[in-house]
This record gives sequence, structure tokens and C-alpha cells, in this order.
Amino acid sequence: MANSEDKGFGVGAALPRKEDKRLLRGKGMYVADVDIPGTLDVAFLRSAHAHGRLGGIEIPEGMEDRVYTAADLTRVNPVRVEPSVPGFKPADHHPLATDKVRFAGECIAACLGANRAEAEDLADALIADIEELPALHDPVAAREDPPALLHEEWGDNVYVQLDISGGDIDSVRDAPIVVTRDYRMNRQSIAPLEPRAVLAHWDARAEELVVYLSTQIPHLMRTGLSQMLNLPSHQLRIIAPDVGGGFGGKARLMPEEIVVCAIALDTGKPVRWLEDRREHLMAAPQAREHIYRVTAYADSDGIIQGIDAELTVNAGAYALWHSGPFMETGMAARNLTGPYHIENMRCRTWTVATNKPPLGVYRGVARPGACFAIERTIDAVARAVGRDPLDVRMANMVPAEQMPYEAVGGMKFDNGDYPESVRRAAEMVGYDDIRAQQGGTAVDGRVWGVGLSSYTEQTAHGAAEWTRRGSPIIPGYESATARINPDGTLVLLVGIHSHGQGMETTLAQVAHEELSIHPDAITVKFGDTAISPFGFGTFASRSMVMSGGAVSNACIVLREKLAAIAAHHLQCTTEQVRFADGEAQSDGGSIPIAELARIAHLRQDGLPDGVDPTLDATATYEPDESTGVFSYATHAAVVAVDPHSGAVELVDYAVVEDCGNVVNPMIVDGQIVGGVAQGIGTALYEESVYDTNGQPLSTTFADYLLPGATEIPDIKIGHMVTPATFTRFGLKGMGEGGAIAPPAAIGNALSDAFAAIGAEFNETPYTPRRVLDALERAPKA
Amino acid sequence: MSDETKTITLTVNGESVTKLVDARTHLVDFLRGELGLTGSHLGCEHGICGACSVRLDGDVVRGCLMLAIQADGASIETVEGLTASGEVADLQENFVERDALQCGFCTPGMLITAAELLREAAPKTREEIREFLSGNYCRCTGYHAIVDAVETTLTQRLEKSS
Repeated sequence: MANSEDKGFGVGAALPRKEDKRLLRGKGMYVADVDIPGTLDVAFLRSAHAHGRLGGIEIPEGMEDRVYTAADLTRVNPVRVEPSVPGFKPADHHPLATDKVRFAGECIAACLGANRAEAEDLADALIADIEELPALHDPVAAREDPPALLHEEWGDNVYVQLDISGGDIDSVRDAPIVVTRDYRMNRQSIAPLEPRAVLAHWDARAEELVVYLSTQIPHLMRTGLSQMLNLPSHQLRIIAPDVGGGFGGKARLMPEEIVVCAIALDTGKPVRWLEDRREHLMAAPQAREHIYRVTAYADSDGIIQGIDAELTVNAGAYALWHSGPFMETGMAARNLTGPYHIENMRCRTWTVATNKPPLGVYRGVARPGACFAIERTIDAVARAVGRDPLDVRMANMVPAEQMPYEAVGGMKFDNGDYPESVRRAAEMVGYDDIRAQQGGTAVDGRVWGVGLSSYTEQTAHGAAEWTRRGSPIIPGYESATARINPDGTLVLLVGIHSHGQGMETTLAQVAHEELSIHPDAITVKFGDTAISPFGFGTFASRSMVMSGGAVSNACIVLREKLAAIAAHHLQCTTEQVRFADGEAQSDGGSIPIAELARIAHLRQDGLPDGVDPTLDATATYEPDESTGVFSYATHAAVVAVDPHSGAVELVDYAVVEDCGNVVNPMIVDGQIVGGVAQGIGTALYEESVYDTNGQPLSTTFADYLLPGATEIPDIKIGHMVTPATFTRFGLKGMGEGGAIAPPAAIGNALSDAFAAIGAEFNETPYTPRRVLDALERAPKA
Repeated sequence: MSDETKTITLTVNGESVTKLVDARTHLVDFLRGELGLTGSHLGCEHGICGACSVRLDGDVVRGCLMLAIQADGASIETVEGLTASGEVADLQENFVERDALQCGFCTPGMLITAAELLREAAPKTREEIREFLSGNYCRCTGYHAIVDAVETTLTQRLEKSS
């Protein structure tokens, strides 16, 4: 590291974000803001039926040139996802439907217009002949007793069945306490505020297709589009400008994106599609829909000896490139024992196809479901043995002195003090005071409860973990180019993307840490495959560790070169050179980095022998161990419930987390609160409802409820810091964690509120209706 | 179909604009597409998310729920105008200080709404601020920092005026 004493800008500083200025002035540039003259808009004819055979498509006379159907996409390969998972059944996914439609909202035809309104007029005038087939909406029925097959060649509706186990669950069957529960985390939308968007045009000068795309993974999208379009990568440039939120929802290649590119290639004209919210709610990747049956075997103190579970995940109609839906069940199963010392586990899983939109990856991926299942079970076991859930939770947890610890599902927890996070979170919401008050009647006529939920978040996992999962690609590293200009300013070119995470700031902080260049003299560029080296993108809580490590490595290369030039001019050895305040310093003098940069580029006569001109380095980074570093947290929720209306108010909410060393504490807090808000959405409000015909019922923000400012309380945050031992700077990723625990914490708080009558809250979201149903069903109601 | 057009004249961010528009063009599409004022964003196009909020004759309206022709003769202010006039400079600064934005997509609409609250220059509780902002969705921040930034700005303005 640089010898700078000044931590005002480096790792650990709460530096204000470099990206804020443009965004606050309405000068952000999202795909819909890109203005290319002559752009044609696309509107899609989408299936009105959940399942059916597609016959002809009637196109108004004279409009044929403005309509593309599957038959017109002769150059396009269907998407076919084939992970290295035994028994996974692939299927062709045509970007425009060919013989069948498999969910309401599936693209059938693309219509062109001079603007969106004209394109929509045309789409409205098209008639698709669809012979309806029975629709599959419930994944358990779809695998056990299907009225129809989605992909006939499979012979069933199961993408893959996997059993994941460790220890010997049969050895604990005669435990004194046996608790079995059914849990259901319903389907939801991902709903970044900027809908999906793509604009493609052929650049005749560069001989390349330029694709403006709202994506988290520009380089991977180039790889995917190259395959689907039969277009070599050097003729494909992806530009992801400002992206208005992703959360996983923009980390998969989608049919609309392929179609728009194909039409741009075919017509030679700029073509774009801007998703509207209705399309987003019915055809964008969706998330969750986990159905669990969990049996816990415990001793009479509530110490859990084994977990036996079944998990069915509704993965929807198609497998999305690149990975398909297989990770959802595997991750849930392997996380099912939570942060607990549980030696025996078996989880049978089914990843099922139904007539719903494809499952994507959404903040937390699988773990919100797993956390919900195990954390509700912990509380149920505590009730069964007559102990406080707080005590049973801490008693089952992996203690700090057992770290590192390999959980029964194969997760290698690296370090941390998990029980301490429980103790602190409980303290922050006044756990004992609430317990004391619960004896009496609440003054406002509402019933109060407090609930806890703990989790680990595997982050920055490298090759070992992705290979183990059978992922078709192995995003085990990131890359960065660090380039010092002739005037001493620094440009960082990285393969990740930033769409809220503040990477323009934090990567500059990392570079400052290494080179002492002021962040104002550093630009971080990403989101353009033409300028940055290949990288995987931003997902899986990986960018700070992975891209931060790559930036660090590239800057170290430059630092060594700068030191060699400086030593030559300062008449000292390179070891005697240190960097601070934008200067190379020795005991005998100093020389500004700007001067070294000038020499390196413009005055080679000042270079020592053996040192090449320019200051330009590309490096990659993968953590020393690739099994991941585990952030962890405990959330504590306090609810007040109106037992007559079922209305739930979050009275208090606290998070105590440990993500190792922190680059920018302000940004970390923002990620935590934002994640919690999304988790609260999952817990209380958000649900993509379908009727028994597979028709979507949540297609506007009036039906699909996002939490607003009045639904999210102030979030209390407590930090613990256990530096990671095998990542640069001791960092751990943390972007997803906030969203993992709220459904469990709030479910536990609700169950706590009504513990006296034995009411339990095992299905999300806990809408007023579900709350009242749970109260009605309570054993002692 | 769009056979009907109309010439409208309105004031946008202090400048007079006369344009021929399709009768069915929404106000926000007009501002974005015809005038290049892309700071107003389309998040839902049915009046719920608030990302397209603009000020019309002093009141905050949804740009997606109005036709451009309904704004004929009106005075419109967008985030670009509020920025240029300096009206929200302190609010913008507090958004930076408090990290009250992440992806930035909701931010212009949030500023427009918050500016309306701040114009009243009357003390507000955090609950009242949350209520005032409840028509603007933010998917990234969880609102906590936004409420902080608005509260701080309000406090500063009240201190300055007292």
C-alpha cells in the first residue's frame, strides 16, 4: 500500500460518491435517454394465454415489413442452457414463440413503429391463433400430478431433481423433539425502478453492432448475444450506461434483447425496446416461489440434531442464459442449516417448470427462502421446548471459537462471532423490555411481537464454488486496467458495472490507497465492452472484493514502475520510495506522480534503463481461497399487529452485521438499508399473484405493492468487524445480505406476537388477509 | 391512431416553447423526446412510482398521467430547471452528504416532490416527511437516507429564515 497517513480518501473513508453529481441534476444517461436519430421502437405481441399451441399469426395487410415473427429470425439461435448438473433437462427457448407459448406475456411477434405508440398500435392489430392447453401454476402439482407437460420431450415438468445431504439424518430420527412445518415464500417481481431497455444499431464505420443495454453484466451479455446472433464478439459492442437498478433482474439474457439486436442487424436501422411496467411485471425474470417442508430433530433443550427437508422451486417456463434456474434449489439446500452447528441434513429438491415467467436471480438468491425456512424452524423448536427463541438461536449457533467451520451443506464459514450479532441485535431493539411489556395488554389495542433472524452471506466466491455448482461459466475473478495519463490523472477501466453500488467511488478509494492519487483525479469507467478488459459484471456480492482486488493489483504494477522512475530521479533505491499526497517521496526529496507520468509518456529520456514508456497495466484478481468469504448478520424486528384488521406495523428494526473491513462505511450502510427495504417488501407486500389459469393478476404497481417511504421504518445498524483473512484489504461482499433476513425476522416477530394462541406465520407476504387467516387457524384461537 | 395533432405553446424551465404534437403524446414523453429533458424518468407509466414528477404551474404532477396538449399555456419546471435556478442546491448537496441516492433513477422525481415540501418551510416530523414522499418509489435506498436529507435541508432552511 501507499505510505499515506491520510485515510481521508482511501479504504475506510466515508467519501461522498463521485457519481452523484450527474444523477442529481437529471444528467444521468439511461438507455431510454440515448438519442439516435431515426430510431424505431419495438412493441411486442405477447401471449394472452399461459399455455397453448401457437397456430398462425394474422398480420394486417401491408404491415408485414414491420412485423417480425419466429420465422423471420432465421439467423438467431435459440437459447439452450446446459449447466454441468447431472440430470438437468435442457430445452430450446426461442426468443419469439414457435410452436407453443408457455406463459402469459411470452413474446410472439415484434412490431416496429416510428415511436412506441405506433408500434403498440400495430401489435394490437395482430391476432395470434392459440389453442389453449391446461396451465400449470402450482409447482408441487406440476411435478406430482401434472395436467400437461411444458416441454413434452422431458416426460415430466422437472428441470432437475437433486438431493443434498450431509451427515446421517436417519441417525437422529428418534430425537425427543420433532417439529415439522410447511413454508411458502411466494413469487415476486424484482422491479428495479428503471425497466429493462435495449437499443441496437449497426455502426457502419466500426463494422459493429452497438447495443445500449440496461444490464449488470455487459461483457457476459456480449458473449451471450454473440452466440445467439451468430455474430463474432469483435463486431459486437455492449454499452451499459447508467442503469436504474438491477438487483439480479438485469443479469440474464432475455428474449427481447436478442430480438431487438436481430432486427437491427436485419434492417440496418437503430431499433430499441423500452419495457413498460406491465411487461416487467409479467415477462421480466421473477424470483423466489420456494415451497418447503422442514422437519427438525432436536433434544429437549432445543439443540437441533438434524434437518430433513423437501424443497420445490417454481422456476417458470424457461431456463435463462447463462445459468438457468438450477442454482436456486442447490443454494437454498446448502444454506438450509443457516449459521448453525447442525451435523445431519438432508434436503430433497425439485426445480419445476410451470406456466409462469422464468425465474431469475434476485438479491439474496435462494437464501431469503432458506433463511425463512430455518429461522422460522428455530423459533418453532424453541416454542416446542418452552425456551425463548433468542436463547435457542444462540445455543445452536456456530461459536466464534469453532471458526473456520464447514457447515453440513458444505459452506466453509471463514470467521466471525455469530452469537454476538444476535445478542447485539436483540439489545438494539430492547428485546428484554418488549418481553416485559408483553405480559400486559398493549395500550394501543395492538399486539406486539419481536423476532430475530440470522444468516450468513457467501460472497466473492471464486472458481471452486462456481465449479461445484456446475455453472456453465465460472465467474471466479475480475479484471481491471489502470492507466495513468501523461498529466498524472488516473483512469480505471473495469469489467464490473455499478448501478447504485457506488463503485465509481469505492474503486477510486482503492486506487488512492495504492497510489495516493486524489480521487478527484481518478475516473472509473465501466459498462462498455470496447474500453474495459473482459470481466463478469456485478452480481453475487462480488464487485468490491473482486474488482477492488483487480484495481489494487493493477495499481501495484503501476506503483512499482513509478517507483523505479522516481528512484532514478531521487537518487535512491526503489525500496526507499514511498507514495503520499500524489508524490513519490524519499528521505532526500520528492517528485510528483504527474511529473513521473510526464516522463513516462512524453520524455523517455528521463526513464531509467530497462523501464518501458507508458503507465498502463491490466491485472486480474481472485481471492486466495475461492470458497467465498462469509458476511453475516442478525436482524431484529418489532411488530405491532391489529388483530382485527391484520395490519402489521414495523415498529422497530435493527441489523447487526459483519462484512469484514469496509471500503466506504456510508455506502455499506446504504446497501444494508436498501436490502432490508427489499426484504420487507418480500415479507409484507410484494407478490406476483397468478390465478389457476396462469393469468397474472399483479401487472401494475397498483396490484403489485412496492414499499414506500411510509412502509419502511428507520433502520438501526450495528457493525462488527472481523477482517477476512484471504481477500485484499480483508473485505467481504455485502450487497445482498439486507434482503435475506426480513421475511424470517418479521415472520418470527408475528409468531411471537401471537405465541399465546400458537398462531404461526409461514407464508409470505404476510398480507392482512394472511395474518387474519393465521389467527383463525391458530390452535388456541 | 394518431391523426390528431395540435400546436402548443408552453414555458419550460423559463423558456417559451412552441411545438406541434400528437394529441396522444404524454407530457413526459414530450419533455423527454421533443425537448431532450431526460431527467424526468418513466418508471411505471401509470401514475404510481413518481419518477416522472414535474412541476406544472407550481404544483407537482405526474408527467405520465397528463397529455402534452393539456399543458398548453402552462409553465413547467423539471429537475433540470430546478437545478439551474439553484432552488434545490442545498437539497442536492444533502443528498450527496447523506448518500440519499443509489441508482439515481427515482432521484429527480424525489427532488421535485421534496422541493414542494421544502417550499412550505414549515417544521415537519419524520413521519410527515415520509407521508409527503410516499408517492415516490425508491427501490434502492430504503428511504432512510432520503428522509434524513430532506429533514436536514428543512432544518437548515428554517434556521436560516429564523
